[in-house]
Amino acid sequence: MKAKSVLSHLMHYLKRSLPLLAAALLLAAGSVILQILVPKKVGAAIDTIVGPGEVAFDALWGFLRTAGIFILISACCTWLMSLLLNRVSFRVVRDIRNDAVNHITRLPLSYLDARANGDIISRVVTDVDQVSDGLLLGFAQFFTGILTIVGTLVLMFLTNVKIALVVMLLTPLSLFVARFIASRTFRMFRAQSEARAKQTSLIDEYVGQAKIVQAYSYESRAAEQFNSCDGKLCDCALKATFFSSLTNPCTRFVNSTVYAACALVGSFAVIGGSLSVGMLTTMLAYAGQYAKPFNEISGVITELQNALACAARIFELLDEPLPAAQPETPDLPESLHGDINFSHVAFSYVPERPLITDMNISVNSGMRIAIVGPTGCGKTTLINLLMRFYEIKGGEITFDGMPLKDIPKSFLRRNIGMVLQDTWLSDGTIRDNIAMGNPNATDEEIREAAKAAHAHSFIRRLPNGYDTVLGEHGGGLSAGQRQLLCIARVMLCLPPILILDEATSSIDTRTEWKIQDAFATMMKGRTSFIVAHRLSTIKNADLILVMKDGNVIEQGTHETLMARESFYKTLYLAGSREA
Amino acid sequence: MRKLLRFMNGYRLRAVAAPLFKLFEAIMELLVPLIVAQIIDVGIAGGDRGYIVRRVVLMVVFGIAGLAFAVTAQYFSAKVAVGYTGRVRRALFAHLGKLSYTEIDTIGTDTLITRLTGDMNQIQNGVNLTLRLLMRSPFIVFGATAMAFTVDSHAALVFVGLIPVLAIVIFAIMLITVPLYKRVQGRLDRVVSGLRRNLAGVRVLRAFNKEADERADFAGRTADLSRSQTRVGAISSLLNPLTYCIVNLVILLLVYVGALRVDSGHLTQGEVVALYNYMAQILVELVKLANLILNITRAIACGNRVQSIFEITPSVTSPEGALLVERPLRIAAADAGEAAPDRSLDISFGDSPDISFGSSDGGDVIPLSDPDDGEVSLNRFETSDYQNFLAGLDGASAADAAADSAPDRSLCSSDASADSGKAPIISFRDVSLRYAGASSDMLSGINCDIYPGEYVGVIGGTGSGKTSLVQLLPRFYDITGGSLSVFGHEVREYDVDSLRSAVRIVPQKAVLFSGTVRSNLLWGKPDATDEELWDALERACAADFIRALPEGLDAPVSKGGGNFSGGQRQRLTIARAFVSDADILILDDSGSALDYATEQKLRKALHESKGKTVFYVSQRAGALTSCDRILVMEDGDLVGNGTHEQLLASCPVYREIAAASGINVPPLPPSDTDDGLSAKGGAK
Repeated sequence: MKAKSVLSHLMHYLKRSLPLLAAALLLAAGSVILQILVPKKVGAAIDTIVGPGEVAFDALWGFLRTAGIFILISACCTWLMSLLLNRVSFRVVRDIRNDAVNHITRLPLSYLDARANGDIISRVVTDVDQVSDGLLLGFAQFFTGILTIVGTLVLMFLTNVKIALVVMLLTPLSLFVARFIASRTFRMFRAQSEARAKQTSLIDEYVGQAKIVQAYSYESRAAEQFNSCDGKLCDCALKATFFSSLTNPCTRFVNSTVYAACALVGSFAVIGGSLSVGMLTTMLAYAGQYAKPFNEISGVITELQNALACAARIFELLDEPLPAAQPETPDLPESLHGDINFSHVAFSYVPERPLITDMNISVNSGMRIAIVGPTGCGKTTLINLLMRFYEIKGGEITFDGMPLKDIPKSFLRRNIGMVLQDTWLSDGTIRDNIAMGNPNATDEEIREAAKAAHAHSFIRRLPNGYDTVLGEHGGGLSAGQRQLLCIARVMLCLPPILILDEATSSIDTRTEWKIQDAFATMMKGRTSFIVAHRLSTIKNADLILVMKDGNVIEQGTHETLMARESFYKTLYLAGSREA
Repeated sequence: MRKLLRFMNGYRLRAVAAPLFKLFEAIMELLVPLIVAQIIDVGIAGGDRGYIVRRVVLMVVFGIAGLAFAVTAQYFSAKVAVGYTGRVRRALFAHLGKLSYTEIDTIGTDTLITRLTGDMNQIQNGVNLTLRLLMRSPFIVFGATAMAFTVDSHAALVFVGLIPVLAIVIFAIMLITVPLYKRVQGRLDRVVSGLRRNLAGVRVLRAFNKEADERADFAGRTADLSRSQTRVGAISSLLNPLTYCIVNLVILLLVYVGALRVDSGHLTQGEVVALYNYMAQILVELVKLANLILNITRAIACGNRVQSIFEITPSVTSPEGALLVERPLRIAAADAGEAAPDRSLDISFGDSPDISFGSSDGGDVIPLSDPDDGEVSLNRFETSDYQNFLAGLDGASAADAAADSAPDRSLCSSDASADSGKAPIISFRDVSLRYAGASSDMLSGINCDIYPGEYVGVIGGTGSGKTSLVQLLPRFYDITGGSLSVFGHEVREYDVDSLRSAVRIVPQKAVLFSGTVRSNLLWGKPDATDEELWDALERACAADFIRALPEGLDAPVSKGGGNFSGGQRQRLTIARAFVSDADILILDDSGSALDYATEQKLRKALHESKGKTVFYVSQRAGALTSCDRILVMEDGDLVGNGTHEQLLASCPVYREIAAASGINVPPLPPSDTDDGLSAKGGAK
């Protein structure tokens, strides 16, 4: 992403805050100018102190009062500026994050599935923070820094041209030193963070899987790897730490040289009568302060570059095109019947590798369809297409004769109930989770659904019953219990079409057996797609889809498929030998 | 913290040198204002240009000396900080390797990872800053004050008043903001978790049309965050203007006091300038000091957390004079097995009763029928304890008896005659297990014997204790009651590593490590040949897809094995266990991600693993019908122990599971309900 487009994106977020931003800059300017003027007033005050009995107290008072007022106003300006900048930066962060989630909730699953969650999270959390820290606060620092330097120089030239020239000619030295060290250390820091990343991923693996490491008595071999990795990290860290810590002493040295030169030229000027002692003090104070913003600015520039890179990453996410808006379809029935037709459907996740080439399925309302096939045969893909999580690449899918692409997604999904093998629960209460598809459900209805899913008894035993708050990942509940909640969730809304993807894989066989009745009732009169291992379920299906390598290679009932030498028959025989 | 300090050994000298050199640098800096005062009072007042030049040169010399001191100090402190942290980190990693499952469960791996990464960085930073600044900053603050006293004690009182005022302001602001920052962190966590739920739960949320609700919910979270950030920002951004204000107003006061003192002849103009310069130095250092204190508190907190991990003593350790499991078990049937259709197994017992399975030549032959043809030969239920084991050491005839009893498939009875000759390889006696922090036993009163070469199925509902039971064998957890012996000795008596290499477990969750297929397979046996690896892959039904990879065994494996599918990963973890050639192999529901055909092939391979005792934990009764023995678990109790047919006839829990798995369950013969087996099955 080009810097220009990053900036135009940023401007979009800053537009609303422009008046605040302008005010902040004004305040910054005011505070800097006053701060520069204070040493001048103090110098003037010192000039009124000549010797015993030679103190002009009236003038002294005047200078001190002015300086005091400057100090107070400048402090107020600084504070107000921080308040405004904070407000702007937090507002921008909030807006970008909200937009990001707005975008994420609309992005096609093909985009989200292709990216690690951690990557998206780090963009929306860390990168956005970097943008606000680096760009806004960095910009403020940059602005005040430049202003301080220019202002100080102007004042110095006004006070004494010679000293000002000395300072101006020598300070680039400090800049040069800082730059020199920064560019050297940059590489060392990169080496350090690479070494650290390597070590972190090693730690992630070996400590994250500590149990397996122990089961194989791999501890000492793991420690060996760790130690060699740590040795490398220590080398890099030592270099990075040491060389970067040279910046301060070195610039301090350059500054003290400038200071000394300033003292030399200044004292000669005082002796020559072109400067007062007070003004010399002022000049010395300036010489000490003047170089400081240079260090800050060189730090800020790296920060700004970093912030731009981060901004590019987040805007890349926000620029990801959304699927075209759904055309209006005014005549929607109350709900779907569940007649589903796949004709010549083609689909692939990656264009180069076609997966489904020509899929034809015809399902009537109320049918029970079992999907069987070896691992990785494309069962999940079929579900992705039915739910329209992914768009087909060719052919047509129709629901009750309506082309899938004309059915609003929300309407479609309201009509399909889904229980997946992956039991995701939201981090709310158990009640919220069950009522997800029907937030207006009464407690009575929720309890009934839980009972039907055989979840009621374990929920009742939880300390807070239905109000138990589940942590992230449904923490605290076993995989089986989570799956029961997912089933209850569907039991509560009972849409006309059901998808059960290994819906009982984590439930022990006895409980599963008990739920079967509930499942049977639930499926009655509903079109249901079932991915299951259990032969009895498969046998009773009205239609069996045998999938392999993404395509449906055989379909029919148990009898018709068993009647010939089918792939199904091999699978079935392999399975039935054990059962 | 104290325990962490011992890692400083060897760095002590440098740890002292670093702040010392910093001190020298600070002294150099403190002398500068004095020189300026001299320039003003002596040089300028006397118009002595030579004096001024000499003083300025002195200033530069001090600057050079200061630089030299500083560089030395920085080097020492970087060296100490990095070296020390590396040492702690390596020690911590090694310590983590010693922790047992119980400790890992209690602490949680996420925490351990944070301790090793984030906390360590904080500690390194803290040590480095401490060495560099802890001496320097206070020294300059107090030094500047002291120098002010040497200039003029009256005026210096202004300094004395300033320091506490500044300290109070800085600490007050820190005190107010720290809890506020904590709240900001909490709100940020909520933003992250809101984001994560939108990513992790995307399918469910979309299936339920929750997008709009989620957007609103997230907007609420970000609004909360931004509100609390603004609040804490308002207070923390007071710090700078406030300290600026205080120091500069005090400077004005100083100039005023100085003016009074000059007026009365106690002070010169140059000295007022010196006082003013000292004040400026104090300002710079105080800001650094506040930062430093913040960093150090953070580092100390991290140090304490790391220390608390060091303080945990591992619960599972090898005892003094630990026994080694003598392996491998001899399979005398290498040739006999080919001669006979039966799978025969020869287990040699050493002459010394101390070593359960030695490698002497004389031995008993325990014939096992081939499970594939449905003949299950070994029916032992009520078995010998350790005494019987010893008694059986010399009983060739007993082996014959066992062979005789092999075709006997009748229900087991408490008649131990069939078993008198055989020594169990594993023996549970009233074993109970309670996990740390749990209020009740996970396993209780487990009694059973497993014989060498048996193919043992373990079944039961979720949470019934199947995994807990098998995890006791490699001593992942220590039993909390009863006794458990493996290879004739208490598991606690063995060297842990030796025990675990003889008892391999394939865990439920299939995890691989980054590296290559080969590096993963070599985990259990670092010196395995390629031939052995391929053999293991073959038996684990993984050879085909590995062969299809261009790099074969050297195919890269990404972190966690993410570049393989769930089923492939599972097969590779099984192959990994096969490679290690253990005597006892435990598959803990490891077939769950495999399709029927593959799982069946795998089970066949397991049946054919000569000489190995295999545990196959499963939720599905269908997978276990051909086992030599099935253990049925329910709520932590062993409620059934027998063959498929025996359990069908007598164990109600098993009958239910079998029925649920679609197995045709025959009605119970009315007279059989309370016979030996069911009595046995119910026995605890």
